[in-house]
Amino acid sequence: MKSFLFNIGYFIKESGRVIKLNLLSNIFSVIGTGLILLLLGIVITGTNIGNRLVLMLNEEAEVNGYFSETLTSEQREDIATKINNMDGVRSTRIVDEDEAKTRMEDILGEEAKILELFDDNPFEAFVEIRINVDAMDSVIDNVKSTAGIEYVRDNRDVLEKIQDITYALKVLGYLMIAAVGITTFIILSHMIRQGIYNNKDQINTLKLLGSPSAFIGFPYVLTGVLLTLLGGIIAALSMVILINGAYDSMVGTIPFLPLPAREELIEQMTLWLPSLSLILGFFGSLFGLSSIREKS
Amino acid sequence: MIISNNVSLIYPDKTQALTDINLDIKPGELVYITGPSGSGKTSLLKLIMGMEYPTSGTLSVLGRQVNNSRAGNIRRIRRSIGPVFQEFKLIEGRTSLENVMMGMRFLGVKPKLMKDAANEALEEVGLGHKKMSKVENLSWGESQRVAIARAVARKPSLILADEPTGNLDYDNAINILGLLKSFRNENTTVIITTHATHLIKDEQNATFISVDKGRIAIERRYR
Repeated sequence: MKSFLFNIGYFIKESGRVIKLNLLSNIFSVIGTGLILLLLGIVITGTNIGNRLVLMLNEEAEVNGYFSETLTSEQREDIATKINNMDGVRSTRIVDEDEAKTRMEDILGEEAKILELFDDNPFEAFVEIRINVDAMDSVIDNVKSTAGIEYVRDNRDVLEKIQDITYALKVLGYLMIAAVGITTFIILSHMIRQGIYNNKDQINTLKLLGSPSAFIGFPYVLTGVLLTLLGGIIAALSMVILINGAYDSMVGTIPFLPLPAREELIEQMTLWLPSLSLILGFFGSLFGLSSIREKS
Repeated sequence: MIISNNVSLIYPDKTQALTDINLDIKPGELVYITGPSGSGKTSLLKLIMGMEYPTSGTLSVLGRQVNNSRAGNIRRIRRSIGPVFQEFKLIEGRTSLENVMMGMRFLGVKPKLMKDAANEALEEVGLGHKKMSKVENLSWGESQRVAIARAVARKPSLILADEPTGNLDYDNAINILGLLKSFRNENTTVIITTHATHLIKDEQNATFISVDKGRIAIERRYR
């Protein structure tokens, strides 16, 4: 540990030397890493927006349980309370016959006159049940088997599609993160191995003088971390430009898209991309260093 | 310091480099290993440095077993050795001072002390005025002195010099041998390999190990 503390200046100087030794190749590696991380930033932002959309749709997910005609309003209240306590149910609300008719009139608009042909209100009272999409099947089964519920209208197709979209977005996000991680690892370890190859005589001499592998390898880890961090900073700055550009051009154009606040997104990117690049840089460099360990 | 029992070394291509070597080198000894080219001198040094492992027999250097040791153990042994390689192994692109300091960086020495020790060692080998010269700009003899400075600056228990007189004329060879001998003291053993036996024929107070076809004969001349 003492050796490391006493040699911080040496490590930084060595790291600069390793970078300069293969300057052009290292510049391209930084740009490459920056582009990959930018891609990751775009996917994370896309996934973030997608998740918000899914969350919003999730909050709208509901099934309707229609009451038996003979029930009193107290009994309906009891059933609604019972359903409200079920796992996977977010909230319940009773819609009586009159509200059901009003809603249909709103939907039909001018065509609502057709409802005047009925002598009596043709609509039934029901309980509107907001649910977690993940628990859809069990909620529907439980509601169906509840005494006093005649039948359930469930919009299962729509809800299942929402589930599929959520799953696909998550998988895409994970795949992208894995792809970026692996690619950064490969670029970095190649960069480090190239540096080691270019300095193999020096490394061999240090080994013969008794230097520990950690001491020999540290400047290369530092190099990897510095270059990846630089890539991360480039990616973060590019993301800031992209986010600003996208928000400026989208304001008012797509009002239904549940975009996160611009500042929140920028803060997220400027914090996460450089941090992630640091982590990837550290582990990628260690991976690249594996070639100088063990052998005496 | 160095104890070997029936050590043999056979290279992967089946070349028998050393056969039944028995050594007991004490702290503070000056040891010359002599013999013609290809006799096994460098192989013996490689064993001591942990660059090769004995095929059979046991070898301990500075109190540590070398046989099939892990890399970490071999590196620990090497940290107490000051090697002067035949081809010097100086690091190009660095100054003489940086090269000498390079041998001490991982020994936990404070930067100021490290620099002082490196300067002192360069002065001792007569290269104080060349401390800021890049090693690729030094002559053969100067490079060798930098290698010696790097070996001694870290105050090793054992100095190993492989053919230090190899490419030198008589006067320079005598000077280098004299310089290396001057670092011998009660705590520091100096081992020098050379095939130029005429340079050391009148030496006293030294141990002579002559190697021939992988076998050794030991003669101790002490008054």
